[in-house]
Amino acid sequence: MIVFNQANTGRVEYMLDVLGIHGFTFFEQVQGRGTNGGEPRRGTHAWPEMNSCVITVVEDDQVPALLESIKKLDMRNEEVGVRAFVWNIEATV
Amino acid sequence: MSIYKSAIEKPVTTVLIFVAVIVIGIYSFLKLPIDQFPEMDPPYITVMTTYPGASASEMETNVTKIMENALTSVDHLKHITSQSKDNISMVVLELEWGSNMDEAVNDVRSFVDMAANNLPDNCSKPVIFKLSTSSMPICQYSITADETYAGLDKILNDEVVPQLNHIDGIGNISLSGAPDRYVYVNIDQQKLDAYGITLEQVGQVVSANNLNLSSGTIKMPQEQYQMQVRSEYIESSEIENLMVAMTPQGQQVFIRDIATVKDTIKDLSLDEKTNGREAVRLIIAKQTGANTVQVCKDVRKELAQIQKQLPSDVKIEKIYDSSENIQNSINSLEESVLYALLFVVLVVLFFLGKWRATIIIGITIPIALIVAFIYLGMADSSLNIISLCSLTIAIGMVVDDAIVVLENITRHVERGEDPHEASIYATNEVWVSVIATTLVLVAVFVPLTMLSGMAGIMFHELGWIVTVVCCTSTIVAISLTPMLCSKLLKAKQVHVDENGNLVDDEAGKQGWYERTVVRMLDRVDEYYAKSLGWCLNHKALTLIGLLLLFVLSLTPVFAGKIGTDFMQEQDNGRLSVTIKLQRGTRIEETLKTARALEARFVTLIPEIELINTSAGSNDDATIAALFTSTMNNKIQMTVRLPKKWQRDRDIWTIAEILRQEMAKYPEINEYQCVVSSGGPGGNGNTVDLEIYGYDFDKTSQMAEQCRQLISQLPGARDVNISREDDRPDIKVTVDKEKASRLGLSSATISTYLRNRVAGMSCGYLKDDGSEYDIVVRLEEDDRNSISDILDLSIPTATGKTVKLSEVASVGEYWAPPTIERKSRQRIVTVKATPYNTTLGELAKAIETEVVPQLELPVGYSTHIGGNYETQQDTFSDMILLGLMIIMLVYIVMASQFESLRMPGIIMFTIPFALSGVVIALWLTGRSLDMIGALGLVLLVGIVVKNGIVLVDYINLMRERGYELNQAIQMSGRSRIRPVLMTAFTTILGMVPMAVSSGEGAEMWQPLGIVVIGGLTVSTFLTLYIVPVLYGVMSRHGDRDKQEALRKKFIFMNLKVKKEQ
Repeated sequence: MIVFNQANTGRVEYMLDVLGIHGFTFFEQVQGRGTNGGEPRRGTHAWPEMNSCVITVVEDDQVPALLESIKKLDMRNEEVGVRAFVWNIEATV
Repeated sequence: MSIYKSAIEKPVTTVLIFVAVIVIGIYSFLKLPIDQFPEMDPPYITVMTTYPGASASEMETNVTKIMENALTSVDHLKHITSQSKDNISMVVLELEWGSNMDEAVNDVRSFVDMAANNLPDNCSKPVIFKLSTSSMPICQYSITADETYAGLDKILNDEVVPQLNHIDGIGNISLSGAPDRYVYVNIDQQKLDAYGITLEQVGQVVSANNLNLSSGTIKMPQEQYQMQVRSEYIESSEIENLMVAMTPQGQQVFIRDIATVKDTIKDLSLDEKTNGREAVRLIIAKQTGANTVQVCKDVRKELAQIQKQLPSDVKIEKIYDSSENIQNSINSLEESVLYALLFVVLVVLFFLGKWRATIIIGITIPIALIVAFIYLGMADSSLNIISLCSLTIAIGMVVDDAIVVLENITRHVERGEDPHEASIYATNEVWVSVIATTLVLVAVFVPLTMLSGMAGIMFHELGWIVTVVCCTSTIVAISLTPMLCSKLLKAKQVHVDENGNLVDDEAGKQGWYERTVVRMLDRVDEYYAKSLGWCLNHKALTLIGLLLLFVLSLTPVFAGKIGTDFMQEQDNGRLSVTIKLQRGTRIEETLKTARALEARFVTLIPEIELINTSAGSNDDATIAALFTSTMNNKIQMTVRLPKKWQRDRDIWTIAEILRQEMAKYPEINEYQCVVSSGGPGGNGNTVDLEIYGYDFDKTSQMAEQCRQLISQLPGARDVNISREDDRPDIKVTVDKEKASRLGLSSATISTYLRNRVAGMSCGYLKDDGSEYDIVVRLEEDDRNSISDILDLSIPTATGKTVKLSEVASVGEYWAPPTIERKSRQRIVTVKATPYNTTLGELAKAIETEVVPQLELPVGYSTHIGGNYETQQDTFSDMILLGLMIIMLVYIVMASQFESLRMPGIIMFTIPFALSGVVIALWLTGRSLDMIGALGLVLLVGIVVKNGIVLVDYINLMRERGYELNQAIQMSGRSRIRPVLMTAFTTILGMVPMAVSSGEGAEMWQPLGIVVIGGLTVSTFLTLYIVPVLYGVMSRHGDRDKQEALRKKFIFMNLKVKKEQ
C-alpha cells in the first residue's frame, strides 16, 4: 500500500509504469496523519490537503525495487510526502 | 468534476471561452452610447387647466384645489406643487425618482378624468404632460450677424434647420430671438379721425386686395382654361397705393395719406445678443435614447459645413455643448481607469516580483471589466460617470481573489510539486474561502441596488457593476487563474548531481529583487511581528491608545469642521446669471442695463469667452420658452469661460465678483448667479426656506424679512423670493350702459382695442415660399400712454366713431401674483445658495438664526427644503443602507467562521475607517456629500476583507495547535503582505480618481478621498486591533473548549477491571 499526497499522483503512476507494475487499486481522497512528523492530511480548514492511496499486489522480488523507488520519491521532496507499507497476501481469487 | 479541474484539464476550452467573452465584451463596448448619467426620466408630471376669465384666486379655489385633492392619491407621489395664475392652473407632481412614468401618467389621467366633473363648466379639459429628457436642450449655438441680421430668420429656417434635421437622433430644434419679417401699416389716429375712416376699414382694404381666387373656366372652341384672379401683393410697397375711401369732396384717400407702411422685422419683445452683437439662439434637443455625444458631434460637423455656405458676416458660435462636458468627464474617468489598472499591476509586480505571476493576475482585470461592459450592454445602459466610477472602484478589488489562488499555487510549486498538479490541489484548498470573501463584497454592493429615490438611480448601476465584476473575478480566479498557473508557472529547477543528491538550482541565486524588495519586505514583517508581540503583551494599553486615537480623530466632526453637501458643484466653465429689474420696466430700459452689465462683466472678467444675453419675452410658445422665462424686466445671461485648467480663478470666485458687481446697481431688484453643474436634480445647490400660510401680505412680509435675515448670513448668496411682485396692469372698465346705447358691447370694444394696440392681422405677404404677417395698427405714438388709450376712436354701430373715454374708463392697477402652492397649502420660498460654506451649514444657520426670529401666527409654518432636503433624505437612506450592509456582512462572516464572536472582532475595524475618513476630509477641506457617503458605505465591505484574511489565518494556526500568542504573531507575520497588497491595490486604484483634475472631477473626488483615507487608516490599525482583540476575546474560550471535550468523552475515565 502506498499512501501519498495527491500532488504526487503523476509521479507515483509514472513510477509504477517504469517498474512494470500493471495492477493496482486506487483510492482517492483519503485522510491520514503521520506518526513521525508528517502533516495531517484531513481536508479541513486547518489541514486542507488530502492523500491518495494505491494498493498494488506484486511478486516478492519486485518489492525491494518498489520500496527503493518510493524512497527516492520521498527524497525528491519530503514536504509533499509518500509512505509505503508491505504485507503478505494470504490468498487471492 | 470541479470547475478548476475542468479548466486545468481543458486549457483550450477555457481560453476560448474567455476569448469569446472578451469578443462579446468588446462588441458591447463599441455599441455602448456615452452619456453623463444613467438614463433617467425626471419624475415630473404637469397637469394644466385653463379657465378663461378666472382670476388667480378663483383659479386656485375652483380648479387647482380640486385637481390637487384628486391627485394626492397618485402612487409614489413625493411633492405636489401648483401655480394658479389668471386663466391658468398648473399642478406639478413630483414622484419618487425611478418610478415608472408611463404607469404614473395613466394613473394621473384616471384621477384627472374623475375630477374633471367637478371643474367649472367653462374649464378646458386638463392637459397632462410629462417632462422627458428628450425635451432638454443638449446644445445651444448663437448665430450672430450684422448686415444680414434682418434676413437671418429665412437663412436659418431655409438652410440651417433643414440640414440639421437630417442628423440621426436629433430632436426638437428651436430658434430663440430670430427676427421675424413683418409688414406693419402704422396709422395716424388724427388723420384717421380727420377723414372719418376707421382702422377696420383700412384693414379690410388691405386684406381685400390680397387674394388669389379661381373665377371659373373659359372654354374656347378647342381648349379650356382655368381663370384666376391673381392679385396677391408681390411687394409691400403696393399697400401704400391702395385707396381706402373717398371724401365727401370726392378726394381719394390712399393708405400713404394716413399711414406709413413698414416692411421690417417684428417689434422688439425678445432681445438676443451674443457678445453685444445681434444674435439668434439655436437650441437643439435630442430624441429619447439617442446618444448625446454623437448627436452633438454631428451637429458640430454639420454646422461647420453650413458655415461655409452662409454670408460672411454670419457667425456660428457655441454657447454650450453638453457633449463636451460629457466627453471630457468620460475621458478623464477612462484615464483614471487606465491609471488604476497600471497602479494595480505595479503593486502586484512589486509584491510578487515575478512577471509571470503578474501577468496571470493582471489578466483578470481586463476580463472582469469587459464583462461589466456586457452587463451595461444588456441593461441598455451607457458609458457614464457612474458606470466608469464603479469600474475604478472595482479594479482594486478584482485582483484579490486571483492573488489568493496564485499565492497558494506558488506555495505548492515552491515545495517542488509539478505546476499542473499543484494548480489543481492548491485551488481545491482555497476556492471555498475565495467565494466566501466575494460574498462579503456582494453583501455590500447588492443592497445598493435597492436604494430608492435619486440616489437609487445613481447607485443601482454601481451596485450591479461592482457585483458583476467581483463575481466575474472570482470565476476567473478559480478557472482561468489555475489554468494559467499550470501552464505558465515553472516547476522549481532542480537536478540530481553525480552523487545522486538533489540539488536546488535556484538556491543561492539572488536577483536585485530578492536583494532589495524582498529584504525590505522581510524587514517590514520583522518589525511588524515585533511590534505586534509588544502589543499582545500590553493589550490594555494598546486598546486604550487606539480608542484615544479614534476619539481624537473624530474631533473635527464635533468641532464642526466637516460640512455636508448634497453633491459637489462642478466647474464646467458656465455661469447662468438671472437679473430682475423693477416690475413693468420697459424692455428697452432693461436692454440698457443688460448692455451696461455686459460691458462691466467683460472688463471685470477678461477670461470671458462669450456672453449670451436674452431679455424680454417670446410670445411664441416654443419648447425653449418652457425653460427660459424671460420677461420684460428680466435678463438672462449665459457666460462661457474657458476650461478650468486654462484659467487661474475658479468659477465660484468669478461668480462672486459678478454678484458684487450686480449688487451695485440700484435698478436691479434681484439677481442670481448660478454655476451650471449639469448634474441631475435641477440647477444649483440651494437651501429653500418654505413659508406656508394663506394670507399673501403676511407671507410676503415674512419672506421679505427672511430674505433680509438670510442675506446677512455670511455664507448666503443669491437670496431670492419665489413669489413675483405684483404686476402693474392697465385695466379698461367698460361702462355697459353707455356702450349699449351706442350699440357696442364689451366684446366688440375689446376687439377694437386689440386691433388698435396689438394690431389687426390682415393676411400675409408671400415671398419665396414664406408667408409674412401684415399687421394694421396705430402708430406707436398714438398708443403709448393712458391718455392716448382714452383718446382711441371706436366705431359705433351707426358708423360714427366715439372716443374710448366716452364708453370706458382706464386705470392702473396691480395684478395679483401667481399663487404658488405646495402640499396643498399656499407657499412662498426663499432660496439661498451657499458660498464658501456647505449646504448643511447654511441650512443649519438658517434654521437656528433665521427661523426663530420669525413670529409665526397660528396656521403658518416654515420648512427647510430644496437640495438640502434631498440631501437629508439621501443621507438617512444611506445610514439605513449602511446598517443593512453591516448586518449582511456580519451574517456572511459569521457563517464563514461559524462563530458569532469572530465577525465582531473584525467589525471593530469599521469605526477606524470612519476616523480615517474624517481625517482625510479634514485635511483636504472637503465636505461629505452623497458620493462621499457612498464611499463610506463601500468602506465597510473593503475594510472587513482585511480583517477576514487575518482572523482566518489565526484560526488556522490555532487549529493547528499553536499557542494563542504564537499563533497570532505567526499569522500576523505571514498575512501582513497579502493584507498590505490588497489594501495598496485598492488605495492606489482610487488615487487617480482622487487627484483627477479633469472636467467633472469635483463630483467623484470625494469618493476617492473617502476610500483612500478610510482604508489607509483602517488597514494599519487592523493589523494591530484585530490580533489584540482576538487575543483578548479567545484566550478563555479555547481552554474551555478542551475542558468541554474532556467532559464530553468521559469514557476515557472509566477503569477497566481485569476479569479474574
